[in-house]
Amino acid sequence: MTAAGSGHAGCSSPIDEAALMDYWLAILPSADEEAVEEHLLTCDDCGDRLRDAIALAEGLKKLARSGSLHVVVSDEYLKQAARTGQRVREYAAPPGTSVQCTVTLDDDLLVARLAADLSEAARVDLSWCDAQGVELLRMTDIPVRNDAPTVLCQQSITMAKASPSNTLIARLVAVDPEKGERLLGEYAFHHTRTIPGPGALDV
Amino acid sequence: MTVGLSDADLALRIGHGDREAEAEVCRRMAPRIHLYGLRHLRSAPAADDLVQQVLLAMLEALRSGRVRDPNKLAHFVLGTCRMTVAGLRRSARRQERLLAEFGSALVPDQPTAPRLDDAQLARCVQALSERERSVVVLTFYDEQTAAETAAFLDTSESNVRVIRHRALRQLRICMEATS
Repeated sequence: MTAAGSGHAGCSSPIDEAALMDYWLAILPSADEEAVEEHLLTCDDCGDRLRDAIALAEGLKKLARSGSLHVVVSDEYLKQAARTGQRVREYAAPPGTSVQCTVTLDDDLLVARLAADLSEAARVDLSWCDAQGVELLRMTDIPVRNDAPTVLCQQSITMAKASPSNTLIARLVAVDPEKGERLLGEYAFHHTRTIPGPGALDV
Repeated sequence: MTVGLSDADLALRIGHGDREAEAEVCRRMAPRIHLYGLRHLRSAPAADDLVQQVLLAMLEALRSGRVRDPNKLAHFVLGTCRMTVAGLRRSARRQERLLAEFGSALVPDQPTAPRLDDAQLARCVQALSERERSVVVLTFYDEQTAAETAAFLDTSESNVRVIRHRALRQLRICMEATS
C-alpha cells in the first residue's frame, strides 16, 4: 500500500529533467522554483532524480576545472579561473607566427589565444596538425563571435604535461559549403617538455 | 505501523503523541530538506544543519498543534526551510552555535549520492559538438549565467538553454549506454 505524500509511490507528475537541472543551477523563474520545491517536499522519486542531476552537475564542474578538455572558451572563463586561484598558462599567437611554449606541474589550464579576422566567416573550424601538416584533430564549427579578435582554445593540460617535446600546428579555417575552405590563420606551437621524467606519450 | 501512512496522517498522529509517527516523518522529510539545503546553501554540512533545525521546528509545531491543516505539512516545512536559510545567511556564527548544540543526533542517514564514472563522463563530453561542449564547460565551471554564455556565443539566452539541455540529454544517454 502506498499513500499520498508517503514518497514511496511512483510520481504521477514528474518534474522535467531540464527543469530539475535549471532548479539546481538557480535559473528557474521564482514561481517555477516555488512549484518545484513544493513538489520535492512530497515526492522522493523526483528527489532521487534531482540527486542524479546534482551528481551530473558536480561531475561536469570537476571535469571543467580539471583542464583536461579540448574546448573553446571565453575571456570571462579565464578571468574566473584566475579569480578562483587556478594557474592559467596562455600563449597568444598572431597569424603566421611560431610560439615557443611549455607547461609546468603547477599549471592548471593551458590556453592558446589565436588572433584572426573572423568577420566574414559563417562557420569556423580549428584544425590541429602535426609538424608535417597531418591533421590530428578537427574542431568543427567552433563557437566564435564574428567581432571577436581572437579564438581562445583550451588544450588538455593532462595531455600537455605527459607529452614529449613536439610541434603542433593550429589552423583556423572559414568553411563555406559552396566556396570551400579559406585559411584565416596558421600558428605553430613548439612545445618543449620541461617536466622531468620520460615523455612517453605522443600527441 | 506508520510506513504506509500519508504525511498528513502522520502529522495527525504526532499531535496525539505518537513517537513512531515522529520518527517516520523525520525519516521522510530529512532527505527532502537536505536537497533544499544543498540547492540553497551549496554545502552538505550546511544542509545537514538545516535538516536539524527544520525538523526541530516541525516537530515542535506538530506536537503543539500549530500546523492546523495536516495536508499542508509540506508547505509548512518549505516555509520553515526558507526562513531558516534566510537566518543562516544572516548569521554564520549562529549556524556554528546550532551545530555545536544539536550535533548530528537529528540527522538521519541521507541517501547515498549517485556516483559517476569520471573518465566516461570526460569521453562523453568530448564527443559533444564544439558549441555544446563550450556551453557545458562555461555553465558548470563556475555556474556562469546564461547571459554571459549567450554574450560569448552571440546568441540568445533561450538558445543557450536549448543547447545546454540538448547536451545534457546526450550526456545522459551516453553515460547510460556505457554504464
